[in-house]
Amino acid sequence: MEGIGKVSQWVIHLGGMQFKVNSTTLLMSWLIIGLILIFIVLATRRRKMVPGPWQNISELLVSWIKDLCVDALGEHWGRRYYPLICALFIFLLFCNWIGIIPFMDEPTKDLNTTLGLGIMGFFIAHGTAIKVKGLKNYITEYFKPIFFMMPLNLVGELAKVISISFRLFGNIMGGSIIIIVVSYLAYGLILPPFLYAFFGLFVGTIQAFVFTILTLVYISVQIR
Amino acid sequence: MDISGADIIRAAALLGAGLSMGFGAIGPGVGEGIAAAKACEAIGRNPREAGMLTRTMLVGQAVSESTGIYSLVVALLLIFVV
Repeated sequence: MEGIGKVSQWVIHLGGMQFKVNSTTLLMSWLIIGLILIFIVLATRRRKMVPGPWQNISELLVSWIKDLCVDALGEHWGRRYYPLICALFIFLLFCNWIGIIPFMDEPTKDLNTTLGLGIMGFFIAHGTAIKVKGLKNYITEYFKPIFFMMPLNLVGELAKVISISFRLFGNIMGGSIIIIVVSYLAYGLILPPFLYAFFGLFVGTIQAFVFTILTLVYISVQIR
Repeated sequence: MDISGADIIRAAALLGAGLSMGFGAIGPGVGEGIAAAKACEAIGRNPREAGMLTRTMLVGQAVSESTGIYSLVVALLLIFVV
C-alpha cells in the first residue's frame, strides 16, 4: 500500500535553480523507445513479397491506421499525417502494455507524459488550421456566432487538451492503484494477474486507441 | 485526545474524496449502460456489422467514461495532496 502516490525524482541544481526530473518516467520512456526500435528493425529487416510474422503485424497496423487517417482527413492530408498518428499509437500502446511486466511502470502513469502529448496534438491541430485556412480566417473562426463568444471558444479549445490528457492519465493511474489495493487485500497470485490483463491489455489498448482517434478528430475538425 | 484543525481538514478531504467518487460514478455508469443497450439493439438488427459496432461502442464508452475519470483524479488529489 505504500507504493501509492510516490514519485521518484532526481533533483538537479543548476545555477541556483532547482530542476526536478521524474526518473521512472524518463527511464521507462527511453526503454520503450528502444523496444519500438527493436520492433521496427525486426519488421523491416528482411522485407519480402510474402511477409514474415513481424513484417505482417507491422503492415497490418500501418495500413489500418492509414485507412483511418485517409477516412478522417481526406487523401492529401491523410497521407501527410499518418506517420505521426501511427507513431503516437504505437508509443502509447507500448507505454500502456509495459505495466504487465513486473517491476515496470507505465510512463503514462505520470501526468507530464500525457499532458506533453496532448499539448503536442493541440499545437499540431492549430498549426494545420493556420496552414489550411490562413491566419485571418483562423482568427475569425473564434468570433464566429457573435463576437463576445470568443472567450468561450478559447476555453473550449484549451479544455480539449485537459480532457484528453487527464482521461489517459486517470485510466492508467486508477488501474494501477486498484491493482495495488487488491494485491494488498488478497495477498495472492490468483486475482492480480487477471487484473493486470484487464487494466494493462484491455483498457490500455482502448485508451491508446481513444487518444489517437481524438487527436486525429481534433486535427480533422480544424481542417474542415 | 484533542482534535485540531489539521485533523478536521484531513477528515473533510477524505469525506470529499468518497463523495466525489460516489456521485461521479453515477453518470458514466448510466451512460455506458445506454451505449451498450443501443449497441445490442443494433447488433440484433444487423449482426453482420457486429465488429464495427463493438469498436465504435467501446470508443464511445471510453469517451463518456471521462467524467468518472475526472472525479477519480479529484478524489486522488483530495487523498494524497490535501
